[in-house]
Amino acid sequence: MNKTRISFADIIPFAVFIVIFLFFEIASGGKMLSPFNLSTILEQSLITIVVGCGVLFVVAQGSIDLSVGVNLALSGVVATWAANAAGGVLLVPVALLVALIVGIVNGVIVSKFKVPSFMVTIAMLIGIRGIVNYIQTIIGTQYIPESMTVLREPYIRYPAFVLLLIVMFYLFEFTKIGQYSKAIGENESTAEFIGIPVPRMKIIAFALSGLMVGFGTLFSLTSVGGTSQMMGVFFEIKVAMAIFLGGVLVTGGTSTKLYKVLLGSFSITIIVNGLALIGLSETQYSQSVEGILLLLILYVTIIANKRKNRVRALPDELEKTDLKPDQIITSGS
Amino acid sequence: MSENILEIKGLNKYFGTTHANKNIDFSVKKGEIKGLIGENGSGKSTLLSQIAGLYPRDSGRMLLNGREYDPQSPIDANNCGISMVMQELGVVGTLPAGVNIFLGRTGQFTRNGIVNLKALNKAAAEQFAKWDLPKVPLNELTDGMMIETRKIIELARALSVDPQLLLLDEITQSLSMNNRNRLYDLLKRLKAMGRSVIVITHDVEELIQITDSITVLRDGAVVGEVLSAKTSPDEIKRMMVGREISGEYYRADMKPDYRDKVVLSVKNLLVENEIEDVSFDVHEGEILGLCGLSDSGIHAVGKAIYGLTRRSGGTVHLVAKGLDIKNSTMALKNNMAYVPKDRDNEALMINASILDNLSLPSLSELQGKFGYIAPRKTKRLASDMTKKLSIKCTDINQTVNTLSGGNKQKVNLGRWLAKDLKLLILDCPTRGVDVGVKAYIYSLMKELKKEGIAIILISDELPEVLGMADRLIVMKGGRVAGIIRRDEDFTEHSVIGVMI
Amino acid sequence: MQPLQSTQDSIKKINQNPLIFFLMLIAIIAAFAVFFNFVTGGDFLERTNVTVIISHIVWPTFVAWGICFLFACGYTDLSIGAIIVLGSFATCIFGNWYGYPGVILGGLIVGTLLTFLNFNVFAFTEIPSWIAGISLAMIYEAVAVFLKVGKSTADLIYAEIDKSLRILGRLPWSIILLAAGFVAAYIIYNRTTVGLNIRAIGGNKEVAKALGINIVKTLLWVGLISGIFIGIASIVQESVAGRTTVRTGLTSIYVVFQPLAIVLLAQILQKRINIIIAVPICAVLIYAVFNLLTILGVPSGTLQEAFLGAFLILFGIIGQRGYKGVVK
Repeated sequence: MNKTRISFADIIPFAVFIVIFLFFEIASGGKMLSPFNLSTILEQSLITIVVGCGVLFVVAQGSIDLSVGVNLALSGVVATWAANAAGGVLLVPVALLVALIVGIVNGVIVSKFKVPSFMVTIAMLIGIRGIVNYIQTIIGTQYIPESMTVLREPYIRYPAFVLLLIVMFYLFEFTKIGQYSKAIGENESTAEFIGIPVPRMKIIAFALSGLMVGFGTLFSLTSVGGTSQMMGVFFEIKVAMAIFLGGVLVTGGTSTKLYKVLLGSFSITIIVNGLALIGLSETQYSQSVEGILLLLILYVTIIANKRKNRVRALPDELEKTDLKPDQIITSGS
Repeated sequence: MSENILEIKGLNKYFGTTHANKNIDFSVKKGEIKGLIGENGSGKSTLLSQIAGLYPRDSGRMLLNGREYDPQSPIDANNCGISMVMQELGVVGTLPAGVNIFLGRTGQFTRNGIVNLKALNKAAAEQFAKWDLPKVPLNELTDGMMIETRKIIELARALSVDPQLLLLDEITQSLSMNNRNRLYDLLKRLKAMGRSVIVITHDVEELIQITDSITVLRDGAVVGEVLSAKTSPDEIKRMMVGREISGEYYRADMKPDYRDKVVLSVKNLLVENEIEDVSFDVHEGEILGLCGLSDSGIHAVGKAIYGLTRRSGGTVHLVAKGLDIKNSTMALKNNMAYVPKDRDNEALMINASILDNLSLPSLSELQGKFGYIAPRKTKRLASDMTKKLSIKCTDINQTVNTLSGGNKQKVNLGRWLAKDLKLLILDCPTRGVDVGVKAYIYSLMKELKKEGIAIILISDELPEVLGMADRLIVMKGGRVAGIIRRDEDFTEHSVIGVMI
Repeated sequence: MQPLQSTQDSIKKINQNPLIFFLMLIAIIAAFAVFFNFVTGGDFLERTNVTVIISHIVWPTFVAWGICFLFACGYTDLSIGAIIVLGSFATCIFGNWYGYPGVILGGLIVGTLLTFLNFNVFAFTEIPSWIAGISLAMIYEAVAVFLKVGKSTADLIYAEIDKSLRILGRLPWSIILLAAGFVAAYIIYNRTTVGLNIRAIGGNKEVAKALGINIVKTLLWVGLISGIFIGIASIVQESVAGRTTVRTGLTSIYVVFQPLAIVLLAQILQKRINIIIAVPICAVLIYAVFNLLTILGVPSGTLQEAFLGAFLILFGIIGQRGYKGVVK
């Protein structure tokens, strides 16, 4: 009786993934499936997945966070500076704190001042990039302290990643935060009418997005060894693409699922990786492919979703009712 | 008959599962001012909208001056000499008033591609003069103007078509006394010119005063046709609200039956422009009815109690917890429930599953350690409730938009019944629901009552509140007009007397 | 016959009069100018600086006017920056080949075509315009890189346009173009059926439909009109800069941000003065601030961007005051 209906809209991202993978596997002459390449793909997807899990809450509510790239850069730069200036142990807390604050500011402006999220986060994108560039003209790029490079070790890195993934999965699918966010995306009025604290949930979502950026920056810093001029550039697009390529709707809602972040992240990474394998590592190719793909998948998911929702119900009069008016109901579960 | 400018026979209109206009026969004579009145949801705006060409009818015929009339768009209707002032505000705020009058027809003032605003405004001013309408600053954007002004602009726009038949949907409520009188004069002039007007208003006295005859709608069907000179406000109102009281699905007893303990105490509730000085107590096991005409404020009370609208004064005191309910989040947390009237837009997540809808208000209670909400629990809640309420579906993962109106309402109610409730606020719970489901909902209410749950029943249907309530609060113009107990004169007659 | 709005006392009337408001704005700008001049020790109002200001606001103003038409319909196009890059490129290449006709036609055709194309995507696929714009920006940026003349990846600059072809970027042409653009924008926005219909659709789509306005046809016009303004903007931009710089990684969004800020500010003012008039004024205001920052030594590319972002959020917050609906 409880068969989950698999809709056409849900299958498309899987199909896209398989097609992309097969295409590059064939075009690269089998290099795609080499163990080395597969681990590269995992490594390259890691940060996108981590941050994507946070942004997922925002998207589930029907909003977007385009500031994650600059947030990554800002928290990375500030944390590295703090760690070098006052002790390596500061790296983790400062990174998390800075990123979290940016997230909360986003959340407050969106929920309290009612400015559309794409506008706020793009303004952040520009403003904070300016600040980061400025800071870097003063202190330049830096290495993280020796003491903290231990975080790069696989026995810390991968378990940390898996742990984060599990926690986010848990939060999104099994707690109120996730369910309420999906409800807000489905119908914000309904959520309000029930009594869900909508402004608070919006701030929480953006805060989570920020927090995961903090973790992402730690992964990035330890992987690269320090900051760079290009840190976080275009990253917000990568995350957004990962989410939408995975089949999440722009309006969010109950069809938003965490596995889609994984699916989309791998899809995006495979595109870039695949293009490199066949010798087309120029930005222009990956970017144009990404752009076209994004448009296509958005369009297709919107259409598929519309079709799913166009079902017509029967008028009451034509339905046979076989109720017993004296059925007993008890409240409570 | 050639003396009828408009004749409608057997018109039906469905919106999804709702039968909005049922087999309507309706006619307007030349030079007649026709009144159309009915409660909310009676179908009057729908009828007028079809005459004005806003949407197509599903069946039936319309005859204009004896010839088939089948408008495909409002422009068609205009070309046939019919124009309408809609109920919802219909001006473009970002355009100036003068432009609004001729919007869509600016071609006549255009030379070399450029619209001659001077000529347009001159023509607009002429319209105002011709119909003796109060002057409006034609160059200003309508955005900042008062509602009354914007309505006048809409009226000027409708009149600029030089209509044979003018449709006015609830225009008078936006006008000040001065301008209402002006409008009445305008109607007299139109009549003298041999033009016809259909007027919708909920002010019964006004309707009788300005019209020649009145048609009363109820539940989508015509229930009466009277001559204005020969009727009275009471008669009209009786036709509007009276219904056949049938079936034994209401309560059998005729005395109030509730416990002494007060669940909720409302004092001096004030919501600006909606309700004022509303006070009452609700007891355990009591069904407290709230009824009144369109603008009585009964729906606003429900929203205010649940904390959905900001109140400007008064308190909503939940006695058991000693709390003043300030917002909906508090209400939810303290075992209160609110079932809104607008099912599709406000109450349900229409594209989400039955499971998701049913479990949403209970998520806090279903939490385990670390906030864990077990899918097993939500599934059980949903399938239990689906079974108990006999919600017709193939499985609980089905989306709600595939359900019929009655089943949607069951989901609407069921998600609240799954909680351990202290107070349930129901706003028009049997609206758009067939007889079988209605009976079912009433039986639910009786069961909840037995368990000591307090119920506030807000309803547009008099027989319903009379059938179910222990006490009935009658509201009028945003204030409490009377409180009647079940063992007193609990009849339609006495209630209507207070309501009106 | 008594007028509907009660007669206000004379002071309020003066405040509401658009002409007075306009003059007040000019007075405020003048005051700022004097103040800026003082702060910079006379550098601000120096003749060359003023020339710089004027010639630099032309293309953002044109873009802002184009955005006005898009906003009037409820759309936001973030790919405009990338379109300007391609438009500038076309101006450059065709200009070098054919002289002035090439300059004009190149930029105009490319800019108009792409904006028009974009708009069709927005209007007819129902993908939210902000993200569709981002996707299109990515595609256009990639096209720009693909077309670049220099072959090494580091070379992001196109061949420079011939110096003699850059007249349109200088005075007096800047002022002439500005005036012409103003007249055209004003007439179209306020005095043509198409402009009025566009605003009707954006203001109240149901009413527009009920009054018989052809939605599809009007939407097509929006794409065309805003496209032409953007095409002209790319011509001017190329003329001013002299070269096209390719931007990837979505840095083209920076390009559209200044005009966006201009429009947002103008929207706040539009209750008092017509938005088309407000646009160039806001352009001057905003650019003057950044000019001041540059003179004061605040580095561009870094902290100036921070200001821009902050302004945008500020204007957004002020503009949304009192908004009661759902915002995502």
